[in-house]
Order: sequence, then structure tokens, then C-alpha cells
Amino acid sequence: MKAALIGAGQIARQHLACVNTLPGVQLAAICDLSPATAEAAAERYAIPSWFTDHRTMLETVRPDVVHVTTPPTSHFRLAIDALQAGAHVIVEKPATSTFEELQTLTLRARQVGRHVVEDYNYVFNRAPQEILRRIETGEFGAVTHVDVLICLDILGPDGFADPNAPHPALNLAGGAIADFLPHLASLAHAFVGPHRSAQTVWSKRKPSLLPFDEFRCVVEAERGTATLGFSASAQPDAFWLRVYGERMQATANLFETRLTFDGPRSVPKPLRPFFSGLEEGSDIRRAALSTLLRKFKGPGAYEGLWEFLALTYQALGSGAPLPITAEDVLAVNRMVEAMKPTERVAIKELAI
Amino acid sequence: MKALVTGANGFLGRHVVNALLARGIAVRAMVRPATRVEPLGWPASVDIVRADLRTSRELASAFDDVDVLIHLAAVVSGGEDAQFAGTVGGTERLLEAMASSGCRRLVLCSSFSVYDYTATRDVLDETAPLQQTPDVYSRGGYTVAKWWQERVTRRFAETHGWDLTVLRPGFIWGRDHGYLAALGQQIGRHHVVIGPLTRIPMTHVENCADVFALAAADPRAKGHTLNIVDGPGERVWTYLSDYISGTGKRGFRLPIPHWLASAAVRLAFVTVFRRATKVPAILTPKKFDAMLKPLRFDNRRLRETLGWTPPLDYQQCLARTYGPSPAPAEALASWSSGTAASTSAQR
Repeated sequence: MKAALIGAGQIARQHLACVNTLPGVQLAAICDLSPATAEAAAERYAIPSWFTDHRTMLETVRPDVVHVTTPPTSHFRLAIDALQAGAHVIVEKPATSTFEELQTLTLRARQVGRHVVEDYNYVFNRAPQEILRRIETGEFGAVTHVDVLICLDILGPDGFADPNAPHPALNLAGGAIADFLPHLASLAHAFVGPHRSAQTVWSKRKPSLLPFDEFRCVVEAERGTATLGFSASAQPDAFWLRVYGERMQATANLFETRLTFDGPRSVPKPLRPFFSGLEEGSDIRRAALSTLLRKFKGPGAYEGLWEFLALTYQALGSGAPLPITAEDVLAVNRMVEAMKPTERVAIKELAI
Repeated sequence: MKALVTGANGFLGRHVVNALLARGIAVRAMVRPATRVEPLGWPASVDIVRADLRTSRELASAFDDVDVLIHLAAVVSGGEDAQFAGTVGGTERLLEAMASSGCRRLVLCSSFSVYDYTATRDVLDETAPLQQTPDVYSRGGYTVAKWWQERVTRRFAETHGWDLTVLRPGFIWGRDHGYLAALGQQIGRHHVVIGPLTRIPMTHVENCADVFALAAADPRAKGHTLNIVDGPGERVWTYLSDYISGTGKRGFRLPIPHWLASAAVRLAFVTVFRRATKVPAILTPKKFDAMLKPLRFDNRRLRETLGWTPPLDYQQCLARTYGPSPAPAEALASWSSGTAASTSAQR
């Protein structure tokens, strides 16, 4: 299969590094508005051709798969063009700026017999996959609730809150936090299914260019409930995932490799917390070491992106079901849509 | 003569503005939109244009009436991609704007980091081998961005027939920028000094700025690539001693011979880190060499081409770096008449 990328910025590096390792996949071309950025990526990843116009690339290379890794507001038209050129599309999150655009995109994909897949990389990190595996085997019990909280300082002057160059994500409803909603929604969807209702609180804790820097949401979903959150002030940086099952509970930090389980034990009940604590301590020590070691090699916290791409290409090659289906993408984005701030949502300014 | 200076409020840029004014060259200073220019104390004659090379849509008007572009702007913080987008993407946008203007003269601030230290033997001068693709991509974000910035600039200059001067400063030091990567590894207040007798390719920021102003004004600079070092450079141990005594940041110094550290880094690289893709800079042989390889440096070509000698000697540089800050009146003394650009500078 021939793969091509549109957008050679930050996240493209992970896509390129991963696709270069996939059997049967040839990185055929890369496109970026900046000629130097496109050429540098082509040199670094030994890509035979680079372009500054995506339509020229699509016509010249005729790729089988196009990765859209540009800023979010450009995703829709680039993905549409790629579908028209006969390619499957793997698009970075958020797939589109609005749900209407996503509906149009998925409809067009169906019409031309191609797939559109949005990247939900954290769902494919080792920890969520291990929890899902235990749920699948019945060991975990039915999930009653999932709690996801991203603590990430995005208020520094070099990132989303750069006063000199407004970040493209600030154009999304919800501003910078909207960039993270697909992560929250995709994890909730993976554990408790499509949502039925969502109650949100958007607030601003510190002065900055961002419209919001705190977000909380309670979701009622088909198979359970979820609480989802983002905090730009809570430190240190972490990506907490807690899943509560009828037999077990799991805790993971997706920025690290930490994953612990707590469940039934064949010991007298008063001793259970003691043995659970010992096992949890041992798991955390092992995770500390592996988190350190993975800094030297591999994709780090992007391990899920590599797994997601590998599974997606495998499925595209064999005609098997995709790891993320169009129905998943629509369900996740319905949840995202329900989480976005609307005029009806009271914006609470926290006077800190 | 009018010069457009990008990155004008940066560590080097603010001194380049001073040096241009001292030579009677009119300055248009390009600064980012959120920059506070008042603390810089520029006179009213400095024409300030606010733009961010990464995003500003209209850059062409910045070149109105400009005779020479002095391009210093670079992103030196953030990740590798942020540095590339800011430094290289920004240069592309800037030079596209220049191509639509009447300005034909360009002085680029490149860097010693474009040289391949590992392949260089004995003397690093303008004839030393440069980084090559794809090896350059293992040298880290700053090097990749500066290497590409020079590459892009040379292509534009060749396409449009511009007069280009590429200046490659060594380690630039000065007030609040005394600590250099060439000193080894800092651990808290303590220092692991690798190769204490190694000489540092260094230029004090005011000397370096003087070269930029001279290159902008002197037609003999056209078409040349010149390294900027003040001389053969101080030895690491001497410079570190002056840094410690100047800043008062006392700590232990552990000297390690360069050959021993180099052997250890190379051994670790081929054993422990053989399959690693992300290794700290000092443990990567090419980056280790770029920071610490004992080479000789000289500024012969700079002296011969422009007849330049550093205005400040090492002792004067130390005084400027670690001594009391010059009073505003003293700092303004060499400038042409004009009221200060900012109210705070007038106070």
C-alpha cells in the first residue's frame, strides 16, 4: 500500500516514524505548505517525493492511504479531496471542526467505498488495551464507571497560549481544550459506549488567551457512566484513567506506563487491602523503571498511535474490520459535540 | 542606509540594533506582537514593526525603503518541530516577502552548529566540513533548524540574485548569558568540566553585534561566509572560573579529560544506547563533539575580509557581562540624537 501525508508538522513525525516500520506499506509522498518542511521530512524519512500542493500530490502519487496531520480546521477539505482521489483517510483528531462536516465526510467515504478513520491513539495505549482485554475475558466484570482526567499545563507562552502566534486550535469551540475532547470521548466510548446525555462545566481559572482552561463533564452512556475532565492548573502533568468494574478497578496514567489493578483476592477480607497495596507498590515500581527506559527509545506516550496505525493498515490490507469504524467515529464525535460549550452553558469565572 | 533587523529584541538583536545605530544606519526593528519594547530603551528613530514570522500575513511592507535585511530571528526553545517551524518556516515567509520588495542585500545569522565537528580535524574554520543529510537529523532541533535556515536562505539568494553574507557566530556570551554548553555538564551548582583545557569558540555579544553592523555596511562582506569568534577562545577552566567568580554561583568543579569522556560516551552509545532513538545530547557522540571537541578556532577570514578586530577585549567583556549594568545615559551615548522610543527609558 502507498501512504502519503498531508501536513509535516509535529504529530506527523509519529505517523512517519511508525508507517516506515509497517510491513507492506510504502511512504510514497509528503505534502506541506512549507517547501522546506516537506523536503526535510522527505529526507529524514527517505520519502521519494514531496509536494506543497496536496491536489498535485494526490494526482501524481495516487496514494492508497492519506494521513491528514494538518491543523484541525483544514482537515475537512483535505480529507474530502483525498477521498475523491480514491484514498482511505486517517485523520488526526479532531477530525473536523463541526459534526456536520464529519457527517458529510463519512457519507462521502461511504459513497466512494473508502474509509475515514479518526486517530484515537490513547485508546490503543497498552494500559487501556489491557483493561479492555480483562473486560473481554470477564475477569474485570461489567464496567460501571470510567473517570478520565487530563492534567496538562497548556498555559505556557510557547504552546496554545502563545501571545504572538494564536494556536489553530483556539478557533475550535472550547478553544485549546477542544483539541483534547476526542481523547476523553474516545476513552469513555471504549469503556461505556455511546453517550445518552452529558452535563458540562467549562471554566477559566487563570488569565490567559484561552477561552477556557478547566473542563468537567458527567456522561451517561449506554453501558455506564463517565466523568471526563481537563485541568490546565492541576500539576504535575498526568493523564489519569480509572475504570470501575463489578469485580475489579483499574488505574492508569497514560503519560506513563503505570497501570494497577485492584480486585478480589483469595485471602481473608481484612488482609485484602494489605496484599493489594503490596502488589500495587510493586507494579508502580516496575512502571517507574519502564517509563524511564522508554524515554530512550520508541514512541513513548504515543505508543497507542503506533498500535492504532499498525492495526488500521493490517485491516485495510486484509479487508478485516477496522479498529475504529465509521460508527465509532460518529458516536465519539456525537459525545464531543455534546461536550462542547454552548450559549446555554454557564461559564463560571473562578476568581483565583 | 536602512536595515531591517528580525529578532531585534533578542539577546543578540538588541545589541545589533545598538551597533547599527552607532554606525549611523537607520533601523527598522521587527519584534513579535506581544513584545514590550519599552525596557529596551530604543530611541524614537528606531522604526518598530510588529510581526511574527510564523503567522503574520503581511510581511512585505516591512521591507519598504529597506536596503539590507539582517535576519537574526530563530526559535531556540520548544521541541524540534516548533524550532523548525519557527526558524525555517519563518525564514521562508520572510524571504518570500523580501522577494516582492526592492531589497537585494541580506545578512544571515547562521551558527557554528552547521559544521560537522566529528569530521573536523584540528582547526574549525570556514573550510571545515558541514553537516550532511541525513546525518544532520541526528544532531537535534537547534542544529537542524539552523542548518535548514542557511540552506533555504542560500537557495532564495541564488534564485533572486541577492547579495548574501552568512555570518556564523560561535558561542555568544554576555550579560545573563554567561553559561555555555561548551562548559560540560552542570549538576545543580556543580560542574563536570569535560576537557578543562579545551578552547571555546566564543564571541561576546557586543563584539558579535559589531560584526553584523559592519557586514551590513561594508560591501566587501557581500558573497562571503564568515565565522565570528573574538579570537582563539578562552580555555573552559578559565572561562568557568570567571563565570563562577562573576556570578557568585559557587560549586564544585570536577575536571575530566576530554579523551576519557569521549571514550565513555562512545562506548555507552554503541552498547547501552545502541538501539535507543532518544538519547540525552551529551551522550550522543555527534552532539558531544559539537559541544566539547577540542579544536582550534580563528577569525582570520573575518579579519582579512572586513579588517575587523573585536572592539572589546576579554577583560572588558567580563566587565560588561558581570560588572554593574551600564547606566541608561551611558548606553545611549553612542546613538544619534532623538527622543527615546519608550516612556520608561526616559525616566
